[in-house]
Amino acid sequence: MSTDHPTHPPSDEHHPPHPTPSQYWKIAVLLAVLTAIEVALYYIDRQLELGMINSLALLVLAFLKFVIVVGWYMHLRYEKSTLNRLFVSGFILAGSLYLVVLVALGVVAVRGG
Amino acid sequence: MSDLTHEGVAPHPEHESTGVDNRKLGMWVFLSSEFLFFGALITNYLLYSNRGGFPSPYPAEIYDIPFTSVSSFVLLMSSLTMVLAHNAQGRGDENGTRTWLFATAALGSVFLGGQVFEFTEFIVERGMTLSTNPAASAFYVLTGFHGTHVAIGVIMLLSLWGISRRRGGLSEHHGLNLELVGLYWHFVDIIWIVIFTVVYLLSVPPT
Repeated sequence: MSTDHPTHPPSDEHHPPHPTPSQYWKIAVLLAVLTAIEVALYYIDRQLELGMINSLALLVLAFLKFVIVVGWYMHLRYEKSTLNRLFVSGFILAGSLYLVVLVALGVVAVRGG
Repeated sequence: MSDLTHEGVAPHPEHESTGVDNRKLGMWVFLSSEFLFFGALITNYLLYSNRGGFPSPYPAEIYDIPFTSVSSFVLLMSSLTMVLAHNAQGRGDENGTRTWLFATAALGSVFLGGQVFEFTEFIVERGMTLSTNPAASAFYVLTGFHGTHVAIGVIMLLSLWGISRRRGGLSEHHGLNLELVGLYWHFVDIIWIVIFTVVYLLSVPPT
């Protein structure tokens, strides 16, 4: 079965085949570039005080890295849609819960201001 | 179920009823609970990171961003070596699997060494202990738990590497084990992606 041959045919036949080693390397380069941009933004913000724009940009970059690792390295996008839905819905629910807590306690508003 | 009792053996010995192997599904459920665990710790840090009125230094005042950036890069690259080990195992390349597994464990160990260095620097040189202020407590608990997860991952990787060196190498059964350890390792990486951005890059000391 497919799970015993991880890089062989994916568990859902409608999905594309897993990436090749060279594609994994390209993804790693992309992740490294995104990290470099994050660090650059950190130093730019210290000089120019971008404030909210910097915070949003850093969060978007982190989210992109998160999605790339979960989707391609953890192969979630090649898994059954059941697993995808389970993970995405749980992630949204948990993220919403923590966001509500942070807003209720004034942490997000303090950072936004 | 009646087929099972009638035939005496399960029609799907790989244990799946959802289309996903139960062991893999179990790992995803476990990782989901871990997301909640780390989500609570990160939220806790955000609550206390800029709450003033306590002795200095605060974590955000003493972060060494260049050093932590290199650590983050090392952990990101360990995700690459992990997925290459997984890929090599799928192609039946035992040497490649062993090499990439060892490289992943080595990169994880480098990251852990960096964390030990950072903690030592903060405690000995900067005087920020676990009880200096609530932000420091939250920081050490969060990053300490993450480091513990990395250490557990390194032990699992070295165990798999040891099994792969034995006669027979990684059998099909161990192949799934490698995939499960890989999922765990990537999870450790994505938690660090969030910690690096939210805790290190976005953190502001109290004014």
